[in-house]
Amino acid sequence: MKTAANLTFGEMAIITGINSEHPSARRIIEIGFTPGQQIELINKTAFNDPLAFSVRGALIAIRKNEAESIYVI
Amino acid sequence: MKKDVIQSTPFITLVGPPNSGKTTLFNYISGRNNKTVNYPGSTVEYSMCRINIGKPNEAELLDSPGIISLMPNSPDEQVTVDAIYSHPGLGIPDLVVATVDASQLSRHLLLVKQLLLSGFNVLVAVTMNDILERKGYKLDTHSLEIELGCRVCKVDGRTGSGTIDLIHQAELIINNTIKNYDLKRIEINNDTDTLIDLYKDIEGIEKRVLINSKELERKIKSANKAFNVLNVEKPEKVVNRPDEITIKIDRILLHQYWGLLIFFAAMSLLFTSIFWLAMPAMDLIDQTFGSLAGFVSNNFSNGWLTDFIADGLISGIGSVIIFLPQIIILFLILGLLEDVGYLARGAMLVDRPLSKIGLNGKSFVPMLSGFACAIPAMMAARTIPNKRERLLTIFILPLMSCSARLPVYALLIGFLLPPDKVFMGGIIMAGIYLFGILSSTLIAGLVNKFSNKILSANDSSSFILELPTYKIPKLMVILNNTFNSSLAYLKKAGPAILVFSVLLWVLTYFPNVHPKVDTSGLSEQQSSELIATERIATSYAADLGKIIQPVMTPIGMDWRVGVSLISAFAAREVFVSSLALIFKVTGDNDDALQASLLNAMRKAKIGGTDQKIFTTATVIGLIIFFVFALQCISTIIVSKQETGGWRIPIMQVVTFTSLAYVLTFITVNGLRLFGIA
Repeated sequence: MKTAANLTFGEMAIITGINSEHPSARRIIEIGFTPGQQIELINKTAFNDPLAFSVRGALIAIRKNEAESIYVI
Repeated sequence: MKKDVIQSTPFITLVGPPNSGKTTLFNYISGRNNKTVNYPGSTVEYSMCRINIGKPNEAELLDSPGIISLMPNSPDEQVTVDAIYSHPGLGIPDLVVATVDASQLSRHLLLVKQLLLSGFNVLVAVTMNDILERKGYKLDTHSLEIELGCRVCKVDGRTGSGTIDLIHQAELIINNTIKNYDLKRIEINNDTDTLIDLYKDIEGIEKRVLINSKELERKIKSANKAFNVLNVEKPEKVVNRPDEITIKIDRILLHQYWGLLIFFAAMSLLFTSIFWLAMPAMDLIDQTFGSLAGFVSNNFSNGWLTDFIADGLISGIGSVIIFLPQIIILFLILGLLEDVGYLARGAMLVDRPLSKIGLNGKSFVPMLSGFACAIPAMMAARTIPNKRERLLTIFILPLMSCSARLPVYALLIGFLLPPDKVFMGGIIMAGIYLFGILSSTLIAGLVNKFSNKILSANDSSSFILELPTYKIPKLMVILNNTFNSSLAYLKKAGPAILVFSVLLWVLTYFPNVHPKVDTSGLSEQQSSELIATERIATSYAADLGKIIQPVMTPIGMDWRVGVSLISAFAAREVFVSSLALIFKVTGDNDDALQASLLNAMRKAKIGGTDQKIFTTATVIGLIIFFVFALQCISTIIVSKQETGGWRIPIMQVVTFTSLAYVLTFITVNGLRLFGIA
């Protein structure tokens, strides 16, 4: 399944769900990643981890493994 | 019971997500009358002030640290959330004022919703309305009030507009509602579906309260034209694009390849500027205190009191004040980076490398503050949610080259450098900093790898951080914070240094105040020097020193350095004033303190022999010792508080101090082996 971690630079996607098994799931949702929201990959660091996404008009940096818990289409 | 409640001063807690303009609003309302206090029994800081609300006359206003949800995610947030529900000193708040960034409405309403669900009296303060309007939208305050069921005010903490109305609304709420004592805590184990549902709710609200200015204009125009009100649909996609300028700046500062380079360049610039910018001010302070001590000993009658004032007090205080310029510059630049919005980016850039050695990107800010002082740095580590990473960050923080080590390094580098090559000082200093950082990463990596027993806590590691919009820094706020931090620092270090200076002076001056020496045929200058030397050789400090002599001999030093090293446990910078005291440096000839101390050090010989104490080898050895040794009692105490026991602080003292001794031994004797005395 495609996740936020698979997005390329500047690619936009809609969140379809959050893997609630992920230990950080609650904080990921609290900070604004919820189903139906449009996200865009804005920045990557030299190590491709963490990644910065735009969501709900904010820039949020999360680790790659956390981005993998965000399912998108 | 009820009577008590009526009589007490009402109190209002200001709550809001990070970057919601909460502190700006608080600073505007409080003016300059706020004070920073800790939550009782914890080290989490908050500001509070008294505000005039009309009836009853005054209310307490508390600024709480920023949180995004009432479900805490780190020890820091736990304390904050607990204090919102019931403040350890003041109880349940009469009113909660929640700040909400209008351009981040859907994210920031989550906290407001949780506050309302818990049963608080809530007043919403909407900030950054200008940003929303630039995006082409307007917030309908009245609709939002209906949707939420609480009062909403638009405010601007920078200009103060709307604050009078806000305080007036607060007064009305406090006087017209009874304090709600049945607060319902938001369940921590709230499942993710409930949260998603809450957000769905909020998205609905956002759609109904945000009006697209252009749609509105068109609607009015067409209504005027044809007198038929069209049922224009509200725009489907609302403000979901971050600040364009911020994205453009981040294309450079967070560039996949350049980002890290720019980061390292910025950090190098930071540390070199600490050294270079502070130089002129430090020289000035050095001169001033030197002449002051000289003035006292030349113009007052000879006796113990004069000696005490000149050698004990003035030299002691001078050697502390001298590094104040460096601390001020460090706090200034740190404040600037934070206010601009770069610190969060720095944390993101180094998260990956730090996570390799068991730390977290969020360790970056504590580590950076560690270059000012390990104490606030250890407190800042509370923002790291993962316990193991937090403990490891605290463990290595004493290796960050704190500003108390600066005067020590400055003195020792001054000793090593030939007078015509002073410019090398900055380079050597940068080298020492780098050495400290490399050693700390090495130790962190080793501890992380081999000792699951030391840091047994193991919960999932995470890094989720909002990158704030870049802002033009507010200079007044930064200056104010720098002033407060520097003052707090002086207040903390000052007394310890003073007490130790006095104690050391007593130990080195008594009991043999008037030693009998043969002064025939000597000039006045020579005889007073001989008296001083004889006095110290028979002092209490010498008796104590003889006990530690065996420890000092292997590293090529004598008891006098040993006594200075021990006194450095009060605070590292005391080392310099101790040396000055023990080697009897006075500003006799109006020399700068440091210059005359360097002279005395060049002449000093190990008691009874012709061997010099301070040589290139021993001074480099001393620098190594200061890089590693944990010689700060306050740090040990804070480490105990922050790690919840003596285990980690004791391990820190044992590990770092024995490492320091062993490495100094290797350095001194190794250098000698290669022919460097």
